[in-house]
Amino acid sequence: MSDVHDLEPQAFLEEVHSFEFWFQAVEGYLSGTTWGHRPDAIESPMSAEDRDRLITVLCNYCVGEAAALEGASGLIVIAPNRLAKVFLATQVADEGRHLEVFYHRMRDLGVSDPEREVERRASGSLQTFRRRLLELVASKDWEAAIFAQNVILESLEFAVFQDHAREADPVTAEVLRGVVKDERRHIGFGENELGRRVASAPHIRARLGQIKKELDHLVLEALEETNLLLGLPRDEHERLGRIYLESVARLGFAT
Amino acid sequence: MSGVPDGGARDERDVAATVELAEGEPAAGSPAANDPQGDRQRFVLDDTGFDEVPKKYRRFYRKWKGAGDRLAPNEVICPVCKVVIRSSRTLLPGDRVYCMPCMSRLVVTRNEATGDLEALVAY
Repeated sequence: MSDVHDLEPQAFLEEVHSFEFWFQAVEGYLSGTTWGHRPDAIESPMSAEDRDRLITVLCNYCVGEAAALEGASGLIVIAPNRLAKVFLATQVADEGRHLEVFYHRMRDLGVSDPEREVERRASGSLQTFRRRLLELVASKDWEAAIFAQNVILESLEFAVFQDHAREADPVTAEVLRGVVKDERRHIGFGENELGRRVASAPHIRARLGQIKKELDHLVLEALEETNLLLGLPRDEHERLGRIYLESVARLGFAT
Repeated sequence: MSGVPDGGARDERDVAATVELAEGEPAAGSPAANDPQGDRQRFVLDDTGFDEVPKKYRRFYRKWKGAGDRLAPNEVICPVCKVVIRSSRTLLPGDRVYCMPCMSRLVVTRNEATGDLEALVAY
């Protein structure tokens, strides 16, 4: 066998959901970095206003990452099989790292107490989303919680972080690019896990449709707030919104 | 091979064979299994610096470079994470490929409107 596409589907799933795969994957792009970026990455000059906006954006990112950290760790208990449990364990490690590098970036920017700053500045929509996600996890609703976390939240983060990395200062851009590489696994896990479940139990679709209806506006409000802080043009807002909605559309939910 | 993006695949006839992944027959649905006579063009895949999967799998993926980039006949874009998936054979509709960076199983189709190959997620 000389081609990865020759693998049996089950062998593929066993491989990509393993800790071994995760470890070798992250080693490829995190080796040699400190706090998510090369130690010799150069800070570019930033106006006080830009710095302040970046801190607020990072506060929002921290709320999303904290939600995913708490959500993923809580989901391990109710994950339906070993592969999902192991994958979620790797996601917990990823989310913990993301939270850490964003907090550290805030300290780099002169924030002495990032926790307090997050409480003070973070988007109300994202905080409501976090609370609702953790309620879904606590209620042991596997499909709804995975949908909220690995499809809705992760799709939002994937779209926003990619865009922000293109415009950000060099250090923040490196941190974001590393996070995006992790997010690919998270969105893929969510979409594939739910896709399999919806295909075999179509009644799940209606319940997830309700969750989407409930959470969509929170996500889109948070997206709008972040876009404004990043100073993105209007057409870029719409493009990001479309990227977010694509993944839920692929699962068969009308946008 | 002309028309292949920088860092893309080259014709296997021009270069030496690459490392083996593991022993075993290609699984049903794979490009190799769908090409029992070996009629399709073969490609040797170079490592393009894609670092999001373990080393032994890196040559099967590359980053999409945006406007100006072109897909080779053995490449298709993952609709989930937008990474370019590469095969050692020309891809055709019906082939099953894997996107390791986002852990998706995909089936190659042809877009009737554009004639381009696309990948759909197979849940």
